Amino acid sequence: MKKKILCVDDSKTALFMVTTILKKGPYEIVTAHDGQQAVEVASSERPDLILMDVIMPRMTGFEACRELKQRDDTKTIPVILVTTRGEEENVENGFASGCNDYVTKPINAQELLAKVRDHIAS
Amino acid sequence: MKEIRNDHGAYVRKVQEGTQSFTQDLLSEIERLHALVASLQVEKQSLDERTREIQQALSANEALRALAASLEAEMNRLHEQVVTLRAANERYESEQARLSAQLERTREESQGYSSRYAEIETQNSNLANLYVASYRLHGTLDRKEVIDTLQEIIANLIGSEEAGLYELNAAKQSLELVASFGLAPDAHRSVPLASGRLGQAARSGEIFVAEPGSGEVEGGLTACIPLKLDGKVTGAIAIYRLLPQKSGFEEVDRELFELLATHAATALYCTSLHARLQAQEVVR
Repeated sequence: MKKKILCVDDSKTALFMVTTILKKGPYEIVTAHDGQQAVEVASSERPDLILMDVIMPRMTGFEACRELKQRDDTKTIPVILVTTRGEEENVENGFASGCNDYVTKPINAQELLAKVRDHIAS
Repeated sequence: MKEIRNDHGAYVRKVQEGTQSFTQDLLSEIERLHALVASLQVEKQSLDERTREIQQALSANEALRALAASLEAEMNRLHEQVVTLRAANERYESEQARLSAQLERTREESQGYSSRYAEIETQNSNLANLYVASYRLHGTLDRKEVIDTLQEIIANLIGSEEAGLYELNAAKQSLELVASFGLAPDAHRSVPLASGRLGQAARSGEIFVAEPGSGEVEGGLTACIPLKLDGKVTGAIAIYRLLPQKSGFEEVDRELFELLATHAATALYCTSLHARLQAQEVVR
């Protein structure tokens, strides 16, 4: 059975980019366009991994990650945040919100696939 | 008579004395012989012991000889075994050398495949970038969406946090800012074609990329992509500051610049054409 990945980004181009990369792997992709929708879709679809942008309207990636990690039905789903800026403070905020890993923009396809494989395998 | 008696007494005494002396000598001889017998007995005992020792040594010697013979036989057998093993070892060594050479060839082949695989993965990823950019630019006839898409491409695929999109105003001979992010729009509102690196790139139609380490170019301009339609410049994309984790442009960025130069111009032209057609339909 294909592993399910929830990709979250308000940018259609960024979302299209990550789904194009991930479709090369044995993954089923579901999408959401902001943090709030991500929490809802995660709850209903129960993905094996969530790949989520940080800067989004309605609910940021950090907030959504915190919410996901507090809910019983989604707290075990690994979350990889996509940060625009890879500075230490930003990364620390990501981990403080409960994310399992992060990638920086512009996304490197090989790095993303490797991290997705690692987190889905573990 | 008396003389005869005296002679007889002297003779007896002499005989007695002779006998006594003989007896003394005999006794001494007997004592000497006793001592000799005792010493010979001691010597005999010692010789008996020596004989036993020699016999023991002889039997030990026999055992050693037998052991030596068996060891020699064993040594001969081992020697033969060593010869056989040496021959086998030589065969194994030559087989090992052959396998090592084969392993080395396989390793080199594998490294070749790995680097080729990495190359193909990079090409795939680059193609994915170009495909996404092209697909998104031509996926709509809505001008705002094309402009948003262009900004998303610059931010997400190129990795810049400051950029501006300009369109050519032929009458004013200037580039007019249409959209931007990370910039103060007022400072970049209009750029005369004769002015600076941006104007120069728009005039020449050549993509400008600041060489790494070439120093600051006009307020941090790192690249300028003139947008061209049928060889004519219709606008430009100016890229300023890159994201902190992006150290410079790569080959894929340059390919993306080439793609944007024509596809962004075409996409924008299509939106204006579509808008004109819609306006005409409304008039009719």
